[in-house]
Amino acid sequence: MTRDQISYVIFFAAIVATGLILKNYFYFQLITIIGINTLLALALNMLLGYAGQISLGHAAFYGIGAYTSGILTATYGFNPWMALPCALMLAIVIAVVVGFPTLKLTGYYLGMGTLGFGMIVHIVFREWSSVTGGASGFMGIPPLEIGHVSFFEPRNYFFLVWFVVLLSFILCKRLINSRTGRALKAIHDSENAAKAVGINTRNLKLKIFVFSAALSALAGFLYAHMISFISPESFSFLVSVKIVTMVVIGGMASIWGSLLGASLLTMLPEWLHAFSDFEMVVYGLILMVVMIITPQGLTRGIIEIYERSRSAKAKR
Amino acid sequence: MELLKFMNDQDQQKQNGNILLKIESVSKAFGGVQALWEVSFDLQAGLIKGLIGPNGAGKTTLFNLVTGIFRPDNGQIIFDNQNIQGRQVHDLVNLGIARTFQNVEIFGSMSVAENVMVGQHVRTRSGFWGAITRVPWMVREENNIWNNAMEILSFVGIEDLAHRKSSELPFGWQRLLEIARALASNPKVLLLDEPAAGLNATETRQLGKLLKKIQKKGITLLLVEHDMSLTMEICDRIVVLDQGKKLAEGTPREIQNNASVMAAYLGMGT
Repeated sequence: MTRDQISYVIFFAAIVATGLILKNYFYFQLITIIGINTLLALALNMLLGYAGQISLGHAAFYGIGAYTSGILTATYGFNPWMALPCALMLAIVIAVVVGFPTLKLTGYYLGMGTLGFGMIVHIVFREWSSVTGGASGFMGIPPLEIGHVSFFEPRNYFFLVWFVVLLSFILCKRLINSRTGRALKAIHDSENAAKAVGINTRNLKLKIFVFSAALSALAGFLYAHMISFISPESFSFLVSVKIVTMVVIGGMASIWGSLLGASLLTMLPEWLHAFSDFEMVVYGLILMVVMIITPQGLTRGIIEIYERSRSAKAKR
Repeated sequence: MELLKFMNDQDQQKQNGNILLKIESVSKAFGGVQALWEVSFDLQAGLIKGLIGPNGAGKTTLFNLVTGIFRPDNGQIIFDNQNIQGRQVHDLVNLGIARTFQNVEIFGSMSVAENVMVGQHVRTRSGFWGAITRVPWMVREENNIWNNAMEILSFVGIEDLAHRKSSELPFGWQRLLEIARALASNPKVLLLDEPAAGLNATETRQLGKLLKKIQKKGITLLLVEHDMSLTMEICDRIVVLDQGKKLAEGTPREIQNNASVMAAYLGMGT
């Protein structure tokens, strides 16, 4: 077995063990949310961490997935499993339309372009009341079912989400360790040199943007059918920034970093309730300290500390 | 009509014989500055051609025209009997034009081997779905990519460094790596932008040997170079540019004895 395969098996075992041991429904819900956030962080990491293209509007695709599936099922009575491909398709089409002109931009300008896109989508969610329910949110999204298994049960939903996470990890890892993955990293390192080895950078950037958008929409679908109620604020600019933070804190260009970043940023607010009024201050401080100590993200930081301690031992 | 065109092509091929790249009265201006003015020369297949000239002579501009970064204002560039005007940079690599950069642009976050693996992009096919599904032919291709990379690295002489992170290599080796990466695309012509810049005398001599070895493999080379000793030693023919115009063309010996070239370089009155 390769190292990757071993890590998948461990991951799988951890999911099963957590699912069987845990009793408290509140924790199930929290960990399921971590899973959904991990998908989001993974989606953005493919774009930002590997291909080096920033998006400050990724919550828009998350929201498009959630709202499309929510509206199709609750308003039009679609089966959720029929609504999923529709939601993904819509996200893909919008990603192509938005990505084609914006991905010409680089650096700050790409950030501004995607930021604008995210804000427009957020405003549509909020103001198109007749369809989206407006600022007060959209209710009555049905839970998922497969045959007789209802995912209304938090334990089942936990398993569903985390197996989707595991599957996405495997797919992304395969993608990265391939011709396409190397080309993505090449664009990140030097776009000029990437062109000079024959990579159609424009085309490939669009492809990974679309892939990333579709994965975010999948996360939105899972979110909508778990919570059954969605509101525009779950897909605002702040959420886009939070996804970027997860990627940066966890570690750019690191699959496992997405898991780490999403876990930390989802758990922190829960732990910090004790600080009540100072919650956000402490939250910000912790993020600052993490970035100062491990500027390359938690994953690299942990690996470096481990290696340093090992070489220190070897010297003794 | 089709037949006529075909016969014309045939004729042209015969005429051109072994001319791989044809620069035909190419001009390029930036704002008010005429960087190139009606420059013409041919690149015969299998030769090493040097492109020299004082700073601002238009060497880099010409280089960028051939590699598709700029479009000429006037004139044509014919590669392998195709007009390559307006082609995208990545498209030209597909046709067989590879290049290296003056300031060495390697993929720093990747290992040495991975750099050469990326270099094979245009001659490999597997895409998104192939990567995700890992079908057998894709796995085979992946193995081939690795084997080719190792072969090219040992051709260049840096196979021992395969697993090192490329940004940690000394500059001289990075330059060799960049050449290896360019070779990985199986080019017909390799364009080198000042390959000896930043190298010491020993490294320059090794580079010269490597370039000769590449020529023996049947690859045509065009190099822009400042280092006269290297140019004179390895080039079969040399083109001299001065202030955007072609000043002279000939064998290294002819160039060395050309009065106007001496004037341009050393500022001696004619």
